[in-house]
Amino acid sequence: MAWPLLVLIAMPDLAGLGSLWSRDRRLAEALQCGQAGILVSAALLVVERVATEGQASVDPFLRADAMSAWMDLILGAVGGTGTLYAVGYMGEELDRGRVSLRRYRQFFCLFDLYLAAMLAAVNVENVAIMWIAVEGSTLSAALLIGFERTKAALEAGWKYVILSSVGIALALFGTILVYYSSEHVLGVTSEALRWSELYRVAESLDPAAIKAAFVFVLIGYGTKAGVAPMHTWLPDAHAEAPTPVSAMLSANMLAVAVYAILRFKAVVDRTVGSSFSGTLMVGLGLLSVAIAAVLLLVQRDYKRLFAYSSIEHIGIALIGFGLGGAGVFAALWHLLNHALAKSAAFYASGLVLLRHEHKMLERVPGLLRQMPLAGGAILVAGVALSGMPPFGLFISEVLIAIGAYAATPGVAYGLLSLLTLAFATLLYQVLRMALGEPLEAGMALGSRNQTFMSAAIWLNLAALCTIGLQIPARCGTLLGAIAPFFGGTMEAP
Amino acid sequence: MFQISPQLGSQLVDLCAALLLLTCFAIVAQRRLSACVDLFALQSVFLAATAALVAFLTGIHHIYVAAALTVVIKAVVLPRILKKVIERLNVSRELQMNINVPAGLLVCGTLVILAFYITQPIIPLGFLLTRDSLAIALAIILIGFFTMIARKKAVTQVVGFLVMENGLFLGATAAAYGMPLIVELGVFFDVLVAGLIIGIYTHRIQDAFDSVDTSKLTVLKE
Amino acid sequence: MLQSLALVVAQVILFLVVSPFIVGVIRKVKARLQCRRGASLFQPYADLAKLFRKQPVVSTTTSWIFTATPYILFASTLAAGLLVPAFASQMPLNFAGNIIALVYLLALGTFFLILVGLDAGSAFGGMGSSREAIVASLTEPAMIMSIFAIALTAGSTNLSTIVHKTALLEGIVTDPSPHLMALAALFIVALAETGRVPVDNPATHLELTMIHEAMVLEYSGRYLALVEWAAGMKLLVFLTLIANVFAPWGIATSLTPAAIGIGLAVYLVKVSGLAVLIGVIESMFAKLRLFRVSEFLGVAFILALLALVFFYILRG
Repeated sequence: MAWPLLVLIAMPDLAGLGSLWSRDRRLAEALQCGQAGILVSAALLVVERVATEGQASVDPFLRADAMSAWMDLILGAVGGTGTLYAVGYMGEELDRGRVSLRRYRQFFCLFDLYLAAMLAAVNVENVAIMWIAVEGSTLSAALLIGFERTKAALEAGWKYVILSSVGIALALFGTILVYYSSEHVLGVTSEALRWSELYRVAESLDPAAIKAAFVFVLIGYGTKAGVAPMHTWLPDAHAEAPTPVSAMLSANMLAVAVYAILRFKAVVDRTVGSSFSGTLMVGLGLLSVAIAAVLLLVQRDYKRLFAYSSIEHIGIALIGFGLGGAGVFAALWHLLNHALAKSAAFYASGLVLLRHEHKMLERVPGLLRQMPLAGGAILVAGVALSGMPPFGLFISEVLIAIGAYAATPGVAYGLLSLLTLAFATLLYQVLRMALGEPLEAGMALGSRNQTFMSAAIWLNLAALCTIGLQIPARCGTLLGAIAPFFGGTMEAP
Repeated sequence: MFQISPQLGSQLVDLCAALLLLTCFAIVAQRRLSACVDLFALQSVFLAATAALVAFLTGIHHIYVAAALTVVIKAVVLPRILKKVIERLNVSRELQMNINVPAGLLVCGTLVILAFYITQPIIPLGFLLTRDSLAIALAIILIGFFTMIARKKAVTQVVGFLVMENGLFLGATAAAYGMPLIVELGVFFDVLVAGLIIGIYTHRIQDAFDSVDTSKLTVLKE
Repeated sequence: MLQSLALVVAQVILFLVVSPFIVGVIRKVKARLQCRRGASLFQPYADLAKLFRKQPVVSTTTSWIFTATPYILFASTLAAGLLVPAFASQMPLNFAGNIIALVYLLALGTFFLILVGLDAGSAFGGMGSSREAIVASLTEPAMIMSIFAIALTAGSTNLSTIVHKTALLEGIVTDPSPHLMALAALFIVALAETGRVPVDNPATHLELTMIHEAMVLEYSGRYLALVEWAAGMKLLVFLTLIANVFAPWGIATSLTPAAIGIGLAVYLVKVSGLAVLIGVIESMFAKLRLFRVSEFLGVAFILALLALVFFYILRG
């Protein structure tokens, strides 16, 4: 029995329901802070367990292998700091009287259920239950995005609900197709839906059915991952959601959707070889990077700016996974670093938003001088996100570009030129915000709330910088264990 | 206990699936919002009948549970919620559409053909009982998707989404003999919650924009 | 030979006798659903008898078409009725034509009706004619295609063969999905062609939107009787077609007295059932506005088209 795994999934549920019932704000805060700590430590324990024993499982539903553990690490770390940040952010909203205590408690309930659903999705053993968990995260996210009930938030929420419901429906059809073909090999039992069984018999599955299934899964979960051309909900949702939610959407949910695609990719690759899924993923990835790189330049809303940057980075990760081999390693590393950097960027944007109460990029220059922490975090995260050393995203982007060059030089040229464009535009926009003279004074934040938010930002930046310089041994072991899963033999460099 | 020959059983399942597809076309051609909801309820009844038939023919009893849930949730609860929403609205029919009805029907016809084309290589794999069902399920999913694109009113977009769900359920039951029970229950729960959430959104959009015309949602753009 | 002749006579009598009854059934169902008691089921017979006794009034501005049309309409519809197997699957007239002949015999009647609407030169007649022309042009492709879809399943355009083959099948039908689509298409076509709700309202002479009634507004006496009787027969032809092509069970596949007896009884039950269904539909739905009719018939067209395509895909 792997209790850290259980704790990891159960803790947010309990903390969320506890917050909903707690009459007192302090109690809810304590619960959330406790959850943040437990999430991080449970995730680390799961990683430890998987790195030493190969897997952690709670029969028959949960089983974490190296890939799940990797996702647990991302979700646990960013989920932890995100919870901490949300305590400060929603506390400030509460103090300003923009939400009632009742809505404050509702927020945390939804927020925690959302985290729990994502954590469940990456640890369940059953293909269809993973779908249910992902759908659960979609639904809780839908309520969170429209949480502020402004016209813009409602519009963003509506777009999100409609698009991701369609996407998730297509993904379910893909899942059904997989089941349809696997039950001919395994019989009409729930065994036919277990990942481990699917990998075992993947070679004898019907190629046509699995190919069709993968296309549906890629479009379906791709919509949730914000892959172009199904990305249209993403900038709106990221910009209009309460900032802690934007950070979780970008850092966690996109990664969970990519994880779902990867799981299916592993089956498809065993059935029909890796070129089928690889080509599709590289194509969609390039399209996403291209669209995001161009649109980064015209953004006037700093949350939308980071949203488009998420589309770009998910595109890069897809290209890495599509290339296989060292690309898989690089893309996984990319996901973790992107999660840390992007959530730090959103946390800092949240501080700016609370101070100035608008999201217009031109009107918030001089952040370094006005709000050193937020300005500094935006600068550091911006530099990391534009792919400069000494951050992990630099390493992964270089590795992916090298992998692309080895496979098809054309892809590498396209990718490199798009990366350069994205690099220039993102850095330009970030520098506009960080440097210069402040224009508006804005509103001061409560010091207590500020503490929570600052802590979250510091933690994120510290993690980002530490792993940027050197890959920790445990992470290396995990990545080394995932690579063979996709047919690669890459050792951690 | 009487027996049905496999061939007759297969035909009956196909017949039920075809009835589902027919109601799809009726929904596409229908402009009155409440009639769309009624047609969806009718489609769900056909769906439950298909599921019950498959359960009877295969002897997999938990599909009966799924059939019963379909009747309760999709034929009674969700239509009732949608009717409540419609009662609050100031419009009862949809005059402006993104794609008009005759063109929409042609598109749907093409979608059906597309669905058959896509599933053609997979169908021989299936059980005898369920020859056309997979293709029809995909066709229903695509038509539901199309309805969401073609219509402007939030309520009809919801109906489109629910039609998609019906297609999925048909695919799962008729083509794959049903998912395991726990999966079915989870999917039902999700669908119910999705219906509720979309209902909540429709309410709030009506309050904020004084309309459920989603083409009025134009605050956010590049 | 004698046997064939007997069958022809039997079918003629059947159509002449049963068609007013069907009209009566529909009216009765509608009355009941409106909480009225309604006229007797046999009221249409009395109406016809009364009309035959009255002297017709013929406008001086009309040509020979006006007087000839009732006879042409009546004869062509009756001939169409003889091509459809009613109670026995083997019809003696099947050498004379097939589905295509049936469709165009009905179209001949429609054509003359349209001419009559124009002939008297009244505003209403002209309006009715132009509308009928629109409806007819929309229904015809749907009708032809839905029937072809069925013909393909049976491998013949001869109605007797189609019905006979389907009746002898094990199971329900060969391919349920195209069959069902063609059935739905044909049902919509039947509603449109026979001027029922939601395309036209047969119960009024007062609506500006009427179609069939507008064309025959000038008729009186025995001419009107013939036109009405023909309209009833046309309805019966469609109901027979739907009942026997899609659900031929119980029809007499051999010519033994017992089989024919059962066939007759089953046939009457089937067409009465369909008449009740039409009555219910007429009570439940409102008439569509004229420019929405094209959408309604568009559904039929698409369904018929799909039935055809389905057939090709399924047969690979």
